[in-house]
Amino acid sequence: MTAVWQFIKSQQRFSRLHFWVGIAVSLLPVAAGILLLGVSGWFITAAALAGLSGAFLNIFAPSAIIRALAIIRTAGRYGERVLTHDATFRFLTDLRNRLFEAYAIEPAKKKRSGTVLNRLTADIDALDSVYLRLVVPIVLAVIVATFLLVVWATVSRAVFTFGLIFIAAWAILAWRSFDNSERNTVRRADAASDAMRLRAADLAGGRRDIAVYGGLGDAADHILTADGRLMEVEEKLEQRSNRLVGLSSLNGQTFLAFMLLVCAWEVADGRLTLAPAVGLVLVVMALPELFSAMLPGLANLPRTELAAERSIAARRKNAGTDGSTAKPEAPSELEDTTDAVLRFESVRFNYPGAARPILDGLSLEIGHGEVVAVAGRSGCGKTTVASLAARLLDADKGTIWLNGTDIRDFSESDLRRSVAVLSQRPYLFNDTIAANLRIANPDAGEAELWEALERSALAERIAQGEEGLQSILGEAGLGLSGGEQRRLALARAFLTRPSLYVLDEMTEGLDENTGAEVLARFLDFRTDQAVLMIAHKDRELDVADRVVRLSGSDTRLP
Amino acid sequence: MENSGKSGQEIGDADISEKTALNWAGTILAVADLLWIPQAGLIAWPLGLVLSDVTVDSQGANSELPVVLLTCVAGLVMIALIRVYLQILAQGQAQRAARRIQKKARGDLLFAAIARSPAQSFPPSGAFAAHVTDQVDLLGPYYRNYWPQFMRLKLVPLAIVLVTAWFSWLAALILVISGPVIPVFMALIGARAKTASADQQEELARLSGMLLDRIRGLETLVLFGAVGNSRSEIRDAGERFRLGTMRVLKVAFLSSTVLELFSALGIAFSAVYVGFSLLGDIEIGVWGKSLGYAQGLFILLLAPEFFAPLRSFSAAYHDRAAGLAARQKLSEMLDAIDTPAAAVSAVRTAVEPQMHQDKKWLFEAPGISFGNVTIDLAGRKVFDRFNCRIEPGETLLITGRSGCGKTTLLDLVLGFRMPDCGNVLVDGDDISMVADALRRKVMYLGQAPRLFHGSVKANLLKAMPDPSGVQDADIQTALHLAGAQDLVSRLPRGLATQLGEDGFGLSVGEIRRIALARAAMRKEARILIVDEPTAGLDPDTAADVIEGLKILSKERTCLIATHDPAVLEISGRHLDLDIAKTPVAPENVK
Repeated sequence: MTAVWQFIKSQQRFSRLHFWVGIAVSLLPVAAGILLLGVSGWFITAAALAGLSGAFLNIFAPSAIIRALAIIRTAGRYGERVLTHDATFRFLTDLRNRLFEAYAIEPAKKKRSGTVLNRLTADIDALDSVYLRLVVPIVLAVIVATFLLVVWATVSRAVFTFGLIFIAAWAILAWRSFDNSERNTVRRADAASDAMRLRAADLAGGRRDIAVYGGLGDAADHILTADGRLMEVEEKLEQRSNRLVGLSSLNGQTFLAFMLLVCAWEVADGRLTLAPAVGLVLVVMALPELFSAMLPGLANLPRTELAAERSIAARRKNAGTDGSTAKPEAPSELEDTTDAVLRFESVRFNYPGAARPILDGLSLEIGHGEVVAVAGRSGCGKTTVASLAARLLDADKGTIWLNGTDIRDFSESDLRRSVAVLSQRPYLFNDTIAANLRIANPDAGEAELWEALERSALAERIAQGEEGLQSILGEAGLGLSGGEQRRLALARAFLTRPSLYVLDEMTEGLDENTGAEVLARFLDFRTDQAVLMIAHKDRELDVADRVVRLSGSDTRLP
Repeated sequence: MENSGKSGQEIGDADISEKTALNWAGTILAVADLLWIPQAGLIAWPLGLVLSDVTVDSQGANSELPVVLLTCVAGLVMIALIRVYLQILAQGQAQRAARRIQKKARGDLLFAAIARSPAQSFPPSGAFAAHVTDQVDLLGPYYRNYWPQFMRLKLVPLAIVLVTAWFSWLAALILVISGPVIPVFMALIGARAKTASADQQEELARLSGMLLDRIRGLETLVLFGAVGNSRSEIRDAGERFRLGTMRVLKVAFLSSTVLELFSALGIAFSAVYVGFSLLGDIEIGVWGKSLGYAQGLFILLLAPEFFAPLRSFSAAYHDRAAGLAARQKLSEMLDAIDTPAAAVSAVRTAVEPQMHQDKKWLFEAPGISFGNVTIDLAGRKVFDRFNCRIEPGETLLITGRSGCGKTTLLDLVLGFRMPDCGNVLVDGDDISMVADALRRKVMYLGQAPRLFHGSVKANLLKAMPDPSGVQDADIQTALHLAGAQDLVSRLPRGLATQLGEDGFGLSVGEIRRIALARAAMRKEARILIVDEPTAGLDPDTAADVIEGLKILSKERTCLIATHDPAVLEISGRHLDLDIAKTPVAPENVK
């Protein structure tokens, strides 16, 4: 409950005006709807009485009121929809921004799986119902209930008593519909749906392996079993929600019956005149819709709660790591006196949870224009060296100097201008070619982009497409082959002017020819920049001026 | 579309029994709605008695009034119970039918997927997973919310108009005029809103896609110092989306506002008409004698219920749009998987494959022979009357330029591909008869091996038909043979480390070594099939893997495809496919 509450508070804080105006306007159609029935009932009864007794009745005022209420209800409904949706979208836009912000603070700490991210999107979608399905209906119900109780209290004690009883019944129903024990049910549903997604992805991506190990039929059965679990849980939740809505409707109809009884009684006893009494009875007809509106939101609360918890946790977890790493532990006051572009000085690094440090006492140096390759069997810490040089990780011990300054003393933007990393798995965004390239240099003009594409032997391929630089990469757009994608990532590098390039297994996963070509083009382009190359292929080692071999944790210079 | 056909029914469609169930659910809901008519009567009648009681102005004129009142209240509550029971019943039925349809759609996709040979192309795994989960989920609301409303809409307003007309044709006319006009207006406004809102739905999908895309590529953004730009991009996109959506929604809400307007005006005019009739100002609209109070009240009470199904129907309209779009996407996915209907139904009705327990090649290394094998891939003859024999226990090292058919040759032995002509025999048994059994008894390492979601240990145990009997020592031996012991001990939780999508990211070389360990778990297998075992490995690790393969190849019939000269150190017969494939007499192949 706390997470949803926090979430509501933050939405309220985000824009008080939209939050409360939305609720205020929502009140209009509800009030007009209730009054429409009440006034209509009163009017025809008064008309019947006047018709029978021949007494004078001002017919124009009530009929005008009835028509006015009809129009207010209509206009109010429209205004309410527009305002509440607008308030929700404003907030969700902000929520998305803040989530990205939170992730952006600590990007490299851990690999994020597609499942977690898919869940995140589903959570944001689930949270858009908080204001519309939970806050607005509950606030409206409370306001209308209070107002009705006040009115009933002024009319007669019996009416008030019965009104109180049935409103209390609705309150109890609302309380019951929120059931925390459903949390685990909801978790099971989420787990089953995640399992289904993961296994379906495995089934589609590894069919040869599945056919040999475990069998395709079994894999499909597993997914259908997860589906069965999901359906079971959903059935349970649906049945519960059906019961709640049913009980609410029953409460409303019983209320109507008793209101009829009480009002007739009061009229017979002379405590109430007939026309307003009929109005009171008809008002009750409008109540079930109002009070039932909050039930689905409440019944869904455990799911919303989980979503709110996860989105708050995502924000907090990422914000939390920020505090511990944003500031270098001991900014070095010394200056590096050597002329090296990059120098590792007795660097130690230990992955959290690992038994022993992956790098210990590593020292290496790269001078201007030098190409240094780091080699060694996989798992010896080559990629860690690259991450340290790009300051995606911070050393536990020792210092890393970049152009004579402790790498921890660089501002983020200066650092990124000085070091360019070509990674093993460059990420291409589902965006235009131009946007993908401008990530490296937002100010690059069209001519520069074409030049970079020319250098990476992609210009012709891109020019073939109708949209040219504006072609969108991805499933629906321009499909580039693996080698072409890698060359596009290389084109990014051609738009930067750093003093150090870090190549992290740049040609991994490329076939012989493409790999050689990518490497050759890169070396052609490079002028006096230093290069730190993480390599395991001979052709990469061949082009290096020096090779540093790492061998497990006892790392030394050769 | 002919590929997805199973008795002519599309994926995600309701069959006859489900349609019947949904229509029944709608009918039951309509009956529950119509029970309001007696309830309205039970309200209007006693109030009419009270009115006459008041106006007659004689003390205790109607001593039966309390009895009538109590009876009516009891009747109201009784009918309410029945209504609620019927509603719950109908909803449950609609929800069950919708779940059946969803389950069937998942089954359709999955069976089509497993019926397609692993050697053939397949849609991207992410897209397939999204269809199996999200798109199928969208079918639910369409069937359980929208379908029953349809039946309700057909029955309820008509019945209410007829009952109203019994008392006053003019009141019925007011409903008839304001009712049917609604769909016309809604259609006019809705048509425009529908296309616009479909676009907007796509836009929302793009927006959340963009957020995910940027978070996935965050490392790249950080490395190029481009996080700030992306931040403002996301902000702008969100703002654009909000404004665009609101523009669309304003139009979309107009259609529900029109509905609201007519329903409010319908009630208002009924009330005003009834009021004026009772006053005696209007005398028309009735059959003969003028409208009584109880009848007038009854008509007024019915009016809101006339509009209720219309409102539910329009509320469920969005579910319809989403459901139909999902159904379209599912059928496109099924077309993309492109499995012939016959193959799908073969998989559906598949019995447990024969285990061929008695086959000698399950216990002793078999001989494998290719006799006049011809394979035609999209018009290109990869093999043309190809002949080759592998002796029991022999190691065949297959080389050749890429695309020459190395993997296809391995696929033939595994039964992933059947020859267009000729045959593949394992100890004289045709592969088409024994492929299922063979796949359970083969050490196999593919070109791009995939580890599955789960722990390292669970992945290794996938190789075993009965994982319960596996000793830890067996696992260590397998890891050792694959040169993966160190690698596993370095993982944060050793063998229990979660792999795959959700888990620890391994490099390509690490995945290959664990996959080799998985193959080595099947130590009783007598056939070894390996495709490019050293691709993506550094020379040291490759040497470890080759050592492991040397041990594994002993006493087994082996097929190893490679273009790495280091792998050719393994002792065995060298087959260059480029040379061997040229159709020549079998005796010339050495």
